[in-house]
Amino acid sequence: MLPYALRRLLIAVPMLLGAMSIVFFAMRILPGDPCLAMMGDQATTEALADCARNLGLHRPLAIQYVDYLWRSVQLDFGHSLRQGYPVSAYIARMFPHTFVLVVASALVAALVGVPIGIVSALKRRNPLVDYPLRVFALLGLSMPVFWLGILLLIVFSLHLDVFPLIGGGDLDTVIAMLGSGEVFTYPGDFLAAVGDVLYHLALPALALGLTLAATVSRLARSAMLEVISQDFIRTARAKGQGERAVVYKHALRNMLVPLLTIIGIFVAIALTGTVLTETVFTRPGLGKMLVDAIGARDYPLAQGAITVFTMIIIVVNLVVDLLYAVVDPRITYR
Amino acid sequence: MQTIVVLTMLAALGLAALGDPPAAEAQRKKVLNIAAKEPDTLDPHASILGQTQAIVRFVYRGLTRFAIRDGKVTTAEVDPDLAESWTLSPDGTLWTFKLRKGVQFHKGFGELTAEDVKFSFERQMKRAPGTRFGVNLGVIKSIEVIDPHTVQIALKAYDPIFLLRMVGYQQGYIISRKAAEKLGDQFKWNPVGTGPFYFDRHAPREKVVLKAFDRYHAGRPQIDEVHWFDVPEDATKLIGLEKGTFDLLYPEAVTADFADQVKKMGAVIDRRGPGGQERFYINITKKPFDDIRVRKAFMHAIDRKAIKETMYPGDLARLAISVVPPGYFGHVPMEFPEYDPDLARKLLAEAGYPNGFTVKNYFISKSFFYPKVLTLAQEHLRKVGITVEVQVVEHATYHENIRKNLNPFVLYGGTRITDADPWLSLFFDGKEIPDPATGNKGTNFAHYRGIDDLLQAGRVERDQKKRAAIYAEAQKRLQRDLVCLPLVDVPGQWARNPRRVSTPFPPDYGEFSLHYSYNYPELLKIVN
Repeated sequence: MLPYALRRLLIAVPMLLGAMSIVFFAMRILPGDPCLAMMGDQATTEALADCARNLGLHRPLAIQYVDYLWRSVQLDFGHSLRQGYPVSAYIARMFPHTFVLVVASALVAALVGVPIGIVSALKRRNPLVDYPLRVFALLGLSMPVFWLGILLLIVFSLHLDVFPLIGGGDLDTVIAMLGSGEVFTYPGDFLAAVGDVLYHLALPALALGLTLAATVSRLARSAMLEVISQDFIRTARAKGQGERAVVYKHALRNMLVPLLTIIGIFVAIALTGTVLTETVFTRPGLGKMLVDAIGARDYPLAQGAITVFTMIIIVVNLVVDLLYAVVDPRITYR
Repeated sequence: MQTIVVLTMLAALGLAALGDPPAAEAQRKKVLNIAAKEPDTLDPHASILGQTQAIVRFVYRGLTRFAIRDGKVTTAEVDPDLAESWTLSPDGTLWTFKLRKGVQFHKGFGELTAEDVKFSFERQMKRAPGTRFGVNLGVIKSIEVIDPHTVQIALKAYDPIFLLRMVGYQQGYIISRKAAEKLGDQFKWNPVGTGPFYFDRHAPREKVVLKAFDRYHAGRPQIDEVHWFDVPEDATKLIGLEKGTFDLLYPEAVTADFADQVKKMGAVIDRRGPGGQERFYINITKKPFDDIRVRKAFMHAIDRKAIKETMYPGDLARLAISVVPPGYFGHVPMEFPEYDPDLARKLLAEAGYPNGFTVKNYFISKSFFYPKVLTLAQEHLRKVGITVEVQVVEHATYHENIRKNLNPFVLYGGTRITDADPWLSLFFDGKEIPDPATGNKGTNFAHYRGIDDLLQAGRVERDQKKRAAIYAEAQKRLQRDLVCLPLVDVPGQWARNPRRVSTPFPPDYGEFSLHYSYNYPELLKIVN
């Protein structure tokens, strides 16, 4: 399995380079430039020329491109054109917020979506169960996350006042304590910080998780339907096993492979979902950062964010592929 | 599913209870919570973004400030601030400023001296990387430090608006030379000024925290801390105002709906003039608008009152009455063609367009007021036979395209130093005609050259009455040549929870300001 993983990682390098190149040129093909975005209606000819020179944007595109790739190889993603912070530091700060959001909404989506999908597949001949579940899925699919987000904020933050309106919680402390080992010396403080993070995470994870749960339930439903119509299920039933054993022992295990595929796809969908979720819930994170960076034509920041997104998707897909072999012994990698 | 949702929430709640309750701390400290967008820098000379200009006023001061007269702040007069007095030489080119003694910079960077004043202006004049307002100081020839508390500024020629340039706003802010030299590139996020609040910390994409400066020369502010949150969505800001998360909102756009909601929750809107003017420039070099009858038809076709009432019903804005807005020196009321679609059709027929014409590939920004105002105007124009085929683009793209002269008429908004000279110079001086061939990205979108002589005369005239007459004549010519149709004057507007924060100035036009915010944040008070 190791040679396979290494090979996959090697293939990831050109993929990453390709993605980075596409982003580099796509950002520059977009009309409007960072200087104009920064100066708006007060941009004079001299000021624009000054700005371009200061940011190195007056150089030929080819030179900028080679410079960008060469620096990226050395893990130097440059500085944000707007705020001047190093892009890598910026991303390092934003990434954990996006990471916990994706994980938490994945949990919500899985906990809600998978059981619904399975039940709706098993009870597909019972309209009293299947129809409401399918309506739920349809609602989730057609409910945009920003709308559901605002709704949740109005109910749980404004009226019931049980959750905060903005922010990502004290994630810095959590990370710092994990890094320094203080988590063992001050477990109370650590739990408080974790609590604060969860307190801020609940509504965004719920909003994003619920909208994604619909997709997950649809995918889980069709995966279950596929498994349940296989020969070995019929054999199991023919042996006289009860429905419960058929589902838990045979169907569920065999559903894991398609389910893993779903999770792989899901991470990509969830990452794009963070863009809106982080904006509505005013959470720091890569998604919100990416939107701002594209709007401001902050090339290095947008490039950095998309590079990280690409890396996440490559890694998740690799992990999913490797896990296939774990859940299904028939699959081996050489 | 419900069980899972409820369980998740309960788990989060239970853990949240472990988090430290900030309530006790907040009671002890007077914290002002502001919802706005995040500034791009805290170097006051380096950004034109509204939120940046608004926040730097908390941290920096200038030699002069907008005067408080009869309980209101005016942009037409200045008072001493970091300078306690000044004199002007008889030939009008040498200003001598006496600095207030004992003014301290934040964070132990020492007392304000003439060196800091010289440095603050010279870094902009030399176009230090990132600085944006050097062009506003182009009139300065040299700056000389006479003694630690006296600075002399020699001008190339008399400048009628020099004291306005010295106001704590954009180029006028004084920064600490020591801090800027020591910190270099880091200064933008380690700002050091003499204002009522000093910079404490910045959590990117979350908030900027400012703290009261004990040694502020006019006395420590009542508010202990300012938390400036990065909140992009106006909907979220409103929920936060009602919930009490925020005390002040800097909205992206104040719509009738927004104003209604603010009113319903018992909050107020602070309106500050002169604000921005929204207007159409008509490119007189583009067919068919090179024909004055077509321009007249265009103006008769547009129902300005309808646009004003749809966009900004009631008090939200005022119908524009001149291309130089009220609150600017030199403003005189003008007259514009009244809404009259029949006359517009007749004029078009006379000009050879009995069936109207089509404007293809017309670009409009997707942001701010642009798409809405244009949609209304598009409908008005359609009624007289002028079809506008619109493409909605990103704001940055819009700015690029209008400077490539892709739109035969240009919708534009903005605020400038409150005097007719800089205002008219930017929008009607022949030197500012944008031209992709030469790279000129000026803002004379009308391509007008009809008042160049007046602008030249106004810049050297020292008699204020004669200056006023020159700009009155300029407005008359602009009215005659029909190159610009001003629509509305939109004030700067913030929403405030009056049960939490008070300001000494009346909410409705009690302040005029240029930086999208309160002129005197140190006078804001937490009331409970």
